[in-house]
Amino acid sequence: MPTAIRSKGFIAIALLPALLLFLVFVIVPIFWSAYYGLYDWKGLGAAKFIGINNYKVILEDPIFWRALKNNLILVVSSILGQIPIALLLALVLLKNTFFTRLVRSAVFMPMVLSTVVVGLIWGYIYNPQFGILNYILEHIGLGSWARPWLSDPKVNMYAISIPINWANIGPYLVIFIAALQNISPEIDDAAKIDGAVRWKKLLHVTLPMVWGTVVVTMVLCISGSLKAFDHVIVMTGGGPAQSTELLATYMYNNTFKVYRYGYGSAVSTMIMIISALLIGINYIVTRRKAS
Amino acid sequence: MKLETTGNSAAAGNTGTALKTPITQNFWRRALAGLVRLPLLIYAILTLYPLYWLFISAFKTNEDFFKRPYGLPLVWMKENITRAWDLGHMGRAMMNSAIVTILAVALTIILGLLAAYALARFNFRFKKVVVALFLAGLLIPIHSTLVPLFLMMKKIGLLDTYGALILPYTAFELPIAIFLAMAYMASIPREIEEAAMIDGTGWWGIFGRMILPLSTPIIATISILAFLRFWNDFSFALVFINSQSLKTLPLSLSLFSDGFGTDYALTMGAMAIAVIPTIVIYLILQEQIMKGMVAGSIKG
Repeated sequence: MPTAIRSKGFIAIALLPALLLFLVFVIVPIFWSAYYGLYDWKGLGAAKFIGINNYKVILEDPIFWRALKNNLILVVSSILGQIPIALLLALVLLKNTFFTRLVRSAVFMPMVLSTVVVGLIWGYIYNPQFGILNYILEHIGLGSWARPWLSDPKVNMYAISIPINWANIGPYLVIFIAALQNISPEIDDAAKIDGAVRWKKLLHVTLPMVWGTVVVTMVLCISGSLKAFDHVIVMTGGGPAQSTELLATYMYNNTFKVYRYGYGSAVSTMIMIISALLIGINYIVTRRKAS
Repeated sequence: MKLETTGNSAAAGNTGTALKTPITQNFWRRALAGLVRLPLLIYAILTLYPLYWLFISAFKTNEDFFKRPYGLPLVWMKENITRAWDLGHMGRAMMNSAIVTILAVALTIILGLLAAYALARFNFRFKKVVVALFLAGLLIPIHSTLVPLFLMMKKIGLLDTYGALILPYTAFELPIAIFLAMAYMASIPREIEEAAMIDGTGWWGIFGRMILPLSTPIIATISILAFLRFWNDFSFALVFINSQSLKTLPLSLSLFSDGFGTDYALTMGAMAIAVIPTIVIYLILQEQIMKGMVAGSIKG
C-alpha cells in the first residue's frame, strides 16, 4: 500500500463530490423543511415564526386525515394485491420455459412505462363517457356496475389502486422468482423424503424460506405507495372535493396551488415521520411473526 | 437471474410416479399443466390489454374511438401521430428528456463508482457514518423533499434549468448506485491492485484502468435502473421545470392531455410516441432490466 497521504487525498477527491451532492440535495432539504415548517410564509415577503402551529393545523385538518387514510388504502391494497399475486405467479412461473418467459415479460412490461402514461391510460379506461371499462360492463350485462370510477368517492381510491398494482406486480414477481430459486434443492428433497405433501411443503418449507423477501417487498409497498403521487396528480389531481388526496398531493396542492410554503414544509416533515413510522411498525410486526 | 431449469426435484418426482401407469400419469400431468397455463395466459393478455388499447386508439378518429372502443381502427389515422408530434412539441420534449437523462446517468456512474471505490477499499474515520447516511438515503421518501428542494433551488437560481433535474436525480440515485457498486467491487480480488501498485500505478490509474473496466456489468445495471427512473420521472419535472422549452417527455404529456383534453385520439397518439422508446429498450434489454430491478430493490 502506498503512503497514507496519497491515499487520503484520493479518498477525499473520490468520495467528496458524491457525498456533497447527496448531502445538499437529499439530507439538507429534510432540515430545511423542518425549519420552514415552523414559519408562516407565503413565498414572498417575510416569514413569520409560529412555532408548531402548522402542525396543529395539519392535525386538525380533516383533509390531512383523509389523505393519510388514502395512503394507507394504497399500502394495504399493495400488500394484499401485489405480494400475493406476484408470489402465486412466481410459484407457477418458476421453471424457465418459453411460455413462462413470455408471461413474465408481459407481466413486467407496465413497469417500464412512465407513471404519467399509466395514469393517462387508466384515466381513459375509467372515463365515464367513453371509458372502455363501463363499455365492457354494459356489454356483458353488468351495466348496473358501471359508474364514474374516478369521481365516485366510494370507489375512487380503489380504482386508483388498480393501475398501481398493475404496474408494480412485475418487479415483485421477478424478486420472488429469484428468491424461490435460491432455495437449495436439498431442502426440497429433504421435505420430499419426509413425505411432505405439496401444499404442506409450500406452507412449512417454501414460504418460511422466502419470508425475508416478503418483508422486503412489504417495505417496498410502503415506500411505493408514498410514490403514488404521480398517478393521482395525473388521474384526479386529488379531487373531486379532495376525496383522492394523498399526503404528497396534499403537500403539493397546499404549497404550489395556494402558496403556503411554510405549511407545505410542515406537511413534508410529516410525510417523513409517517414513512419512518410505517416502516418501523412493519419491521416490528414482521419480526414478531418470524420468530 | 440465471434460472435453474427443469430442477432435479421435478425429474425425481417423475421417476417416482412414472413407475405406476406412465401414460395416464403423463396425460393428467399435461392436462394439469394446461389448466395452470390458461389462467396465466389470460392474466398476461389482461396485463397487456391497456397497452394494446392505447396503440389501436392512437390510430383512430375521435368518432371511431367513441363508437367502437375495442375494434381495430376503421381507417388508420397516421396523422394522429404526426400531428401529436408537432402540436405537442414532442421532438423538443424528447430531446430534453434525452439530455437530462444521459447527463444524469453519466454523473451517477462517475460519482457513484468513485465513492463506492473509496468506501469499498479504504478504511478511514467517519466511514461508518458515511455509509449510514447513504443507507438512510434509500428510505427517504422523494416527495417529502419536493418543497424544500424547490425553495432551495429558487434561492440559488437553479430552478427551471437542466441542472434542476440532473442534480437531484443524481443525488437520489447515488445511494443505490453506491451500494450496488460496493457489493460488486468486493468481489474484485485485491491482488490485481497490489500488482499494479508494485508497477508504480497510482490510485487514479488503478481506478481508471482496472476497476472501471472490471465493473462494466454493474455499470450496466446501474445505468439501466437510472435510465428508467430519470426518463420516466414526473414529479421533479412538474415542480422544478416551468419553461416550455425545457419540459421533459412525461411533463409535456401530462400537459398535452390537459390542453387537448377533448381530442382523445390525438392524446393517445402522443402517448404512443412517448411509450415506444421505453418499450423498444425493454424488449431488447429485458433480462438486464429484470436483473437490475431485483438487485436494486433488494439492496433498497
